Amino acid sequence: MPVWNPDNIRDVAESLGIASLNDLVLDGLASDVEFRLAQVLEEALKFMRHSKRSTLTTNDIAQSLRALNVEPLYGYESTRPLRFGEASIGPGQPLFYVEDEEVDFEKLINAPLPKVPREISFTAHWLAVEGVQPSIPQNPTTADSRNQELVPKGPSANPNLAAMSGNDNVTVKPLVKHVLSKELQLYFEKICSALLDESNNEYRLAALASIRSDPGLHQLVPYFVQFIAEKVTHNLKNIFVLTQTIQLTSAMLENKSLYVDPYVASLVPPILTCLVGRHLGPPGDSLAHFPLRRLAASVLSTVTRKYGKSSHMLKPRLARTCLKHFLDPTKPLGANYGGIIGLQAIGGAEIIRASVVPNLKEYTSMMKDVLDDETRNVEGDMVIEALMEGLLSLAADTVGVVNGMANGHAKEMKQAVVEKIGNLMAEKVMETGNSRLVKAIVEC
Amino acid sequence: MSGQPTGNTSTVPRPATNGITSSNMAPSQQRPNDPQVGSSSATNGQPGSASQSNLNNIVIEYLNKKGYSKTEAMLRMESANQDADGRSIASRAGDPNGAKYGRAFTSMRQWIEDGLDIYKPDLRRLLWPVFVYSFLHLATEFSRESREFYNKFKSDFENTHTDDVKALSYISLPEHVKEDSTAKLYHANKYRVTVGQTAFYNLILYLESLEKDGSGGGVLIYIIHTHLTVVTVDRSADERSGLAALLHRAKTAEDLPAEDEGIPGHNPGSANVDQSTASTVLPRLKLGPLQKDADLKGDMRAELEEADAKEPPADGQSSLVQHFEQQIKREESEEGPTRTELQLPPAVARDVQMEVQKVREDRDSFKIETRTGGVGPGVSVTMFTFHNTNDSITCLDFSEDNMLVAAGMSESYIRVWSLDGKALPVAPGMTDQKPASSRRLYGHSAGVYAVSFSPSIASSDPLAPSTNSTHLLSSSGDKTVRLWDLRTWECVVIYKGHDSPVWDVSWGPCGHYFVTGSMDRTSRLWRTDRIEYLRLFVGHDKDVDTVYFHSNSLYVFTGSCDKTVRMWNISNGSPVRMFTGHTGNITSMACSHNGKLLASADDVGTIILWELATGKLRKRMRGHGKGGIWSVSWSAESTVLVSGGADGTVRVWDVAPGNDATGQGKVIGEGGAGQKIDGNAGAAGAGGKKKGKEVVVTSDQISAFPTKKSPVYKVRFTRMNLVVAGGAYMP
Repeated sequence: MPVWNPDNIRDVAESLGIASLNDLVLDGLASDVEFRLAQVLEEALKFMRHSKRSTLTTNDIAQSLRALNVEPLYGYESTRPLRFGEASIGPGQPLFYVEDEEVDFEKLINAPLPKVPREISFTAHWLAVEGVQPSIPQNPTTADSRNQELVPKGPSANPNLAAMSGNDNVTVKPLVKHVLSKELQLYFEKICSALLDESNNEYRLAALASIRSDPGLHQLVPYFVQFIAEKVTHNLKNIFVLTQTIQLTSAMLENKSLYVDPYVASLVPPILTCLVGRHLGPPGDSLAHFPLRRLAASVLSTVTRKYGKSSHMLKPRLARTCLKHFLDPTKPLGANYGGIIGLQAIGGAEIIRASVVPNLKEYTSMMKDVLDDETRNVEGDMVIEALMEGLLSLAADTVGVVNGMANGHAKEMKQAVVEKIGNLMAEKVMETGNSRLVKAIVEC
Repeated sequence: MSGQPTGNTSTVPRPATNGITSSNMAPSQQRPNDPQVGSSSATNGQPGSASQSNLNNIVIEYLNKKGYSKTEAMLRMESANQDADGRSIASRAGDPNGAKYGRAFTSMRQWIEDGLDIYKPDLRRLLWPVFVYSFLHLATEFSRESREFYNKFKSDFENTHTDDVKALSYISLPEHVKEDSTAKLYHANKYRVTVGQTAFYNLILYLESLEKDGSGGGVLIYIIHTHLTVVTVDRSADERSGLAALLHRAKTAEDLPAEDEGIPGHNPGSANVDQSTASTVLPRLKLGPLQKDADLKGDMRAELEEADAKEPPADGQSSLVQHFEQQIKREESEEGPTRTELQLPPAVARDVQMEVQKVREDRDSFKIETRTGGVGPGVSVTMFTFHNTNDSITCLDFSEDNMLVAAGMSESYIRVWSLDGKALPVAPGMTDQKPASSRRLYGHSAGVYAVSFSPSIASSDPLAPSTNSTHLLSSSGDKTVRLWDLRTWECVVIYKGHDSPVWDVSWGPCGHYFVTGSMDRTSRLWRTDRIEYLRLFVGHDKDVDTVYFHSNSLYVFTGSCDKTVRMWNISNGSPVRMFTGHTGNITSMACSHNGKLLASADDVGTIILWELATGKLRKRMRGHGKGGIWSVSWSAESTVLVSGGADGTVRVWDVAPGNDATGQGKVIGEGGAGQKIDGNAGAAGAGGKKKGKEVVVTSDQISAFPTKKSPVYKVRFTRMNLVVAGGAYMP
């Protein structure tokens, strides 16, 4: 079916006032018009090809007409699509025409200038390094390029060539993402057994030292993370195991060649457990868990210092957890203690000032009963000590010269401190005689 | 039958009895005694047609007398179909319309498909030319039938002759046949095709029997004899076209036209289009590197010694002088052009410095050896992606000193950037210009279709004469070529001569000369110091799309959308080679640095390697998608080829010849919807169906690097074997 049929010719003829045309003439003209159009298009395609484009523009047609010594058609541009209007010149005789927009000259002149198009610029990146395409944002992902046929396939394809470009094993997907070497497996087992060996101190320290400094352990990181989580969940009553896992965590964080970033999220829960857990250690021993909590707090401070920047939600989330445990009166004192040192570990003086000091009065009023209770006052003392330590960090934080406390002021000062943090702590604070601390508290 | 070409059986030679040797058409590898059927056969003495019937009577009488009754009966039966003039009655009384072409063609196709497998690949090649010429005959006489004929059979050829099928589709009137470029091409030339002897004779016999049945086989015989040059070969004698190779080819399902097939009929590897003077001897080529004159050598040696003294070679490294001596020795072993053949101005300090730097880089570069143990080399590619181009960049070029990049715009200007972002150098006197890292060059009045930096080389010595690029050439749709100075940033010379848009321009490897290719079907050689062209290379049937200098400056290559590549000698302007075998328009070419191979790429995604000395196809490499391979480039050692194209990939190829006897890379995988892993079959079905046939990757591809929606306009191996690629991001 020709694109340009005799009917079109008839329409054009009629529009020129030629009423009747012989059918043969119509046929001849139709096929000739089609041929001429093809000629123009052929030339136009050349211009398109040499412009390295894949879309034909009206400009290509204009240039092609010029090349064929024909006056080009003016007034057509590619930037906006042509709008065809339809008019009826009789029943079933539609007539199509190009709609010309009417533009108000005044408006056109006063219209703001269109935006200047953006400047052409170029960027450079590595498309391939030594035959392998690096996976950087500038290069397409493997999913994008999967649809393209890039590498020879089939029995006679050179497997080495495929391997060179990193495309081997495309059909066979390994079940395990990466396979641990025998050596690494052995190493992992040794480390685990050494850590949990209570009898051999030297052996244990060697294992930790190895994790702290050995470079080639990256593949083991997920396994260690899993090990830590598992040990902490199952050994809440065993202070020794918990301590070792925290030691392991801190060792991993210290190793410079390990990239622990992605695992921080799974490392934090075991640390928090050791910090603010309800009941840690054997039930009878009320003091054994405090060193563990302290250790956990120090690891937590390392974590926030190292990774707080890369994940901005980490710090607030940790702080919220610690605060919750500090202020929850239903929790045992151990958990309160963990909360306090945790807060200090996360944010230092700043966070003490913001979230501990305002709550002190309330909290210490509750502490009074505890201190009176024979069975619990040891723990209570620990908590007070932790609070004191927190307050002292406030003192260290404040700068500026503080004049010696004038006697006259002492009373007023005390009053202010009491108001701020309650009787119990105020006494402790005044006992230190640290004027800087007093001032810091008052200024909170 | 007035004016209708009918099969005149009396002038059709019976091939079995007609062993004309026309050595001028024999391919070079062929034995001279091979029987041929050529157009010249008509000159062979045949009994005058007037005496034909008399003769028959005499013979019948004779047979009767001797009692050969069966023979007589046969002769009577056969001669009954002929009139007194010896013409076949069937065709004379034949259909008054063109339907018989269709009928005959159907029968012929059927016969070929039903025939023996070993003949099939050979005879199938005849179908295309017979189809074209039948169609053109029909169009001249029966326009209506021509359309039917075309629609009925075009599907057979759409894969192999896409462009021609498309070009023919609009022809329907006799005037079109006279005017259309494709039709003219077919009419003016004979289609040359090589087929096996036996197969061809069988076909002729069959067509004759068809004629007797009244199915119009005669018209096809007429077509074969008037428009085709059928070269018959003895399949058992020639290894390259032997039976084994043939069957092998059939198995690989490579249905592309053979390299020695096509119009205009020519001898493979020869540029001799004129058949009357055609000889089987190819002009000898001097492919060796250009000889350096004694002065230059002396200067270079002195410079190299100095450089060696300044920084002695590292352990295990040869000194620069030693390396240079080796190079000289190698150069002398090959025959290269002499200074008298290729005139160049005497070397100045800059030339010496460039040559010295070349020796240094040649020694220090990262060597890409040939494939060792089946492993291809890993190359590194830096990609420069242009943003916010709005599809207006038409061409790119990187200077060889890796300092500059130039882009030609369809908005008639050229823009040059410095690659490192520093300010572009400005001539000392030009203080009024602000330092800028990019400049626009205005002057052309139509789209710029090619830009090319003058030869340059990165220099390591800041005190030595500058070896940076000094000039830029650009060719444009306004029919001119302009030379721009890269210090003053002004147009220095306008070269006028072409009378159509100039598609491509390319500097010679020594500078000084450049070559252009234009829509006016000519290619011209220029010297920068003269505004007139020096040589005019005429011969292509369509636009010269791409041009490239041979690495010794003595030859140029021109690629055209008539699907051929030609090679010309610039010292005398004569054509020396012609390469046919592409099925698409040639979009880019590159000659290897050792001067022995040419890579040409087309817009259907094929790269072909040609051996220049023998003029033969080395191999076909496929993998690129449709839409043009815009650039190809060789590694410094000429062992690896890199290509980039409109499909947005940069591909690396192994150029070692394949094991295949046919010289065609084996097809080893078909892409398409079938292999998609993800489940959206609905979407894949529509787009994938078409793709299935197009995407084929041959085994010699070493690697492919896709870009992010950026067609690659330019790829270039630096002398240190790093690939630089450029493209525009098309969001």
